Amino acid sequence: MRPDGDMTADSAPPLLRMRDIAKQFPGVRALTGVDLTVHGGEVVALLGENGAGKSTLMNILAGVHADYDGVIELDGEPARIHSPKQAAHHGITMIHQELNLVPELSVSDNVFLGRELRSRRGTLDRKAMHRRTTELLAELGLALPPQQPVRECRIAERQLVEVAKALNGRLKILVMDEPTSALAAAEVERLFTVIRSLSRRGVGIVYISHRLEELKEIADSVTVLRDGGYVGSRDAHTVGRDELVALMVGRPLDNLYPRAAEQRSDGPVRLEVSGLTFTPTPGQSGTALHDLDFTVRAGEIVGLAGLMGAGRSEVLESLYGARGPVTGSIKLDGRPYAPRSPRQAIRRGLALVAEDRKAQSLVLDNTVRFNTTLAALHRFLRPWRTVNRRAEKAAAAEQNAALGTKTASVETVVGTLSGGNQQKVVLAKCLLTKPTLLLVDEPTRGIDVGAKAEIHALLDRLAEAGSAILAVSSELPELLGICDRILVLCEGRITGEFHRDPAHGPVAAQEAILSAAMARQAVLASGSTLVGSAHD
Amino acid sequence: MTDTLSDSPGSGSGAGAGSGSGSGAPEVPDRHRPGTTERLRRALPALGSLQSYIGLVLVIAAGVITKGAVFWNQTNLTNAITAFASRGILAVGVTLVILTAGIDLSVGSILGIGSMTAAMLLVHHGLSPLLIVPACAAVGALFGFLNGVGTTWLKIQSFVMTLAMLSVVRGIDRQVSNNVAVGVQLIGPNGQPTRKADAFAKLGTPGHQLVSGSWLPLFGRAGVGYPLIAFFAVCVVFQLILSRTRFGRHIYAVGGNPVAARLSGVNVALVVIAVFTLSGMLAGFAGPIDAAYSASADPLAGTGYELDAIAAAVIGGTSLAGGKGSVTGTAVGALILTLLDNVLGLNAVSDNLQLIIKGLIVVVAVVLQRPGFLRGAVDPLTRRIRYRRG
Repeated sequence: MRPDGDMTADSAPPLLRMRDIAKQFPGVRALTGVDLTVHGGEVVALLGENGAGKSTLMNILAGVHADYDGVIELDGEPARIHSPKQAAHHGITMIHQELNLVPELSVSDNVFLGRELRSRRGTLDRKAMHRRTTELLAELGLALPPQQPVRECRIAERQLVEVAKALNGRLKILVMDEPTSALAAAEVERLFTVIRSLSRRGVGIVYISHRLEELKEIADSVTVLRDGGYVGSRDAHTVGRDELVALMVGRPLDNLYPRAAEQRSDGPVRLEVSGLTFTPTPGQSGTALHDLDFTVRAGEIVGLAGLMGAGRSEVLESLYGARGPVTGSIKLDGRPYAPRSPRQAIRRGLALVAEDRKAQSLVLDNTVRFNTTLAALHRFLRPWRTVNRRAEKAAAAEQNAALGTKTASVETVVGTLSGGNQQKVVLAKCLLTKPTLLLVDEPTRGIDVGAKAEIHALLDRLAEAGSAILAVSSELPELLGICDRILVLCEGRITGEFHRDPAHGPVAAQEAILSAAMARQAVLASGSTLVGSAHD
Repeated sequence: MTDTLSDSPGSGSGAGAGSGSGSGAPEVPDRHRPGTTERLRRALPALGSLQSYIGLVLVIAAGVITKGAVFWNQTNLTNAITAFASRGILAVGVTLVILTAGIDLSVGSILGIGSMTAAMLLVHHGLSPLLIVPACAAVGALFGFLNGVGTTWLKIQSFVMTLAMLSVVRGIDRQVSNNVAVGVQLIGPNGQPTRKADAFAKLGTPGHQLVSGSWLPLFGRAGVGYPLIAFFAVCVVFQLILSRTRFGRHIYAVGGNPVAARLSGVNVALVVIAVFTLSGMLAGFAGPIDAAYSASADPLAGTGYELDAIAAAVIGGTSLAGGKGSVTGTAVGALILTLLDNVLGLNAVSDNLQLIIKGLIVVVAVVLQRPGFLRGAVDPLTRRIRYRRG
């Protein structure tokens, strides 16, 4: 993949060399003595647990942090990068985890934001911008109308729009912060194709990811950070997964998917859904669901697999009453249940870990305590509906301690915690309502390996203790690792059901699930793309 | 005041130690850690921001330095606060709305119609103040409820909805009053003020003028009349609602993240309707106080008060983005505005200049209250120092 190999690297100066970078935040040393080298056409994976300093290092490169120590060299020349503008001048683009698009503007307007094309009269040349946008998106295998507002795009589509935006400028170094965390398998493959073609053009790529599986496929070298320090670099093709994990966490990690081998299938049926149908109202985003039948038993983890736009989140949100009226019959513990509102769902023992924890689950400016008890305040009420704050605080502390949330105190502002700890607060909030059916949507998106394993173990413990869990994930290995059963959705229909234990039915395997996920895609493939069709 | 502040780091760390849930290690090096001011503020969440207290001290100092005892005496201070009490009450209601990330521009008009309602009930129907006050609050609550319904069911942005309400309510006020002010100093056949008019007048009188026959001689001698009592009581009640009740918690949740609030089982629309209704109710309640203080209900009464109310909330540290702030902070903000008015007035600063100064104070207050402002002021400095070294 790397065209020049090591010989050129010796003779020509590297595209980027960051040396002895240090960064101090008030009270915290975020980085010390970190080195990073990227050659033209090279894909460097930057690894480390959340809080290891990856984002800080990349923010320095992108000019977000003006104030740091150390030297940055571009093509062998020292470069001053102290503002995003200077970084852009050097051809450095960073695609942040929290995407930087203006939701109200169209796809095309976003791609051309700050470098709009103008006609001779000085007015915007929309036609040319639309044409160019369509071309750029086509390179990414995305067929979005350029005039569609970004707010109507799903997370994965927005990510690809960001890539298109970067491609639209002068590009020498592209930093991608977890680009695949929101993508389903087919989109990941497409992104990799794009990365390879950029690399052939000589663009240096820094790639931050928590998915160790994909590194071998896409990266040339791997640089590992831990606790703000440089741990080492390895050749991505030869390094083993276990070695990387050991480098990242500083100790060998136990199994990422700790669970019993046998399928749990003898619990009573907790959720019984038949003929579930949901049609988005005009203007509402989302995929329609058609006539779904399934059950979830107590003590069972059932996975929902499928491509982006298959309707996985819609299933959870419909059950949770967050999506508006649905038709069909739903029974909870044998009693009929008609989802009306999240409020009622919580009362009936449902809890939802939503897809996007920052946008949907947390009040980021408020404390761990506030967030943990928000859905279960009724448990701490005294007369006059006042909150018993002592009991509330004790419960919040206890629940977070049980989940191993790392926080100085329950009065810490949630927005200052790492992604993994934020997710534990979300789980603590859900568990405090004492749910009997837990709906989890992307429970480990964007969190580090250690926290992932802990959350997997937690879900398994909950199931062992008799909870019913319905889980959505874009990471198939995750579903395969934690689920007893996997239902595959495609365009709002169930197209397959797979089991951990072959005695119960077709056994869950990556290839079989993927082919079920694309079952109808074969029919529709002519013309519309995966992503486009989800919105038709 | 100094005592409270120097005590707080201790109580803050004590609270932290109680949790014992995790290691104290800096788990997130790439996020900034709380500075001293932030820790102070966290320890005193209900007391508003530190900066607003500093502002209050500065205003008082300015008054004492320029006017000495003319400023710093009971009569002047209670007169000043009494004059501002009705606007302070508006500010409390507006704070509730702002905490949910909304805005209420209609409170000035609602106060106006409250004051007109009070005067008409008194003059034309001879109602007792004991009935007039709740009636005015109910009228205000009705308009506030309509604001809430418009923003939730009709999905109109609160700025637009309450701007429209500002206009509509003012129009109704002027229509029913025929554009004529209604005096509330009724003279009975014996040449003395009627008993009810006398009772009504007390609603707006500073305490030290309530010499004899007052229900509250003790307060009266201390200069505390009904306007002050009402303002203080409203502040206490609503601060307690915010910090102690589930409803208060839900207000912060709706303002901080409405999606998360809804998915956590909060009835977001109900909370929004409730805060608008309460804001309207408080504005209606302030109406009779304002009418009694002015001795008449002017059809233009309350014009522009919404801006004072919003300014008080903002100076007190309430964020227009929602989810952050407190009624106590707003009370301090209202005090700052009150005393500033008074100090400028005593120094014979012209009205025009006063407006300019007030506007600037709002800007300064908002800049000072930005999280990490102090750090922001220091950082460029260290950067410069570092460049010179490197």
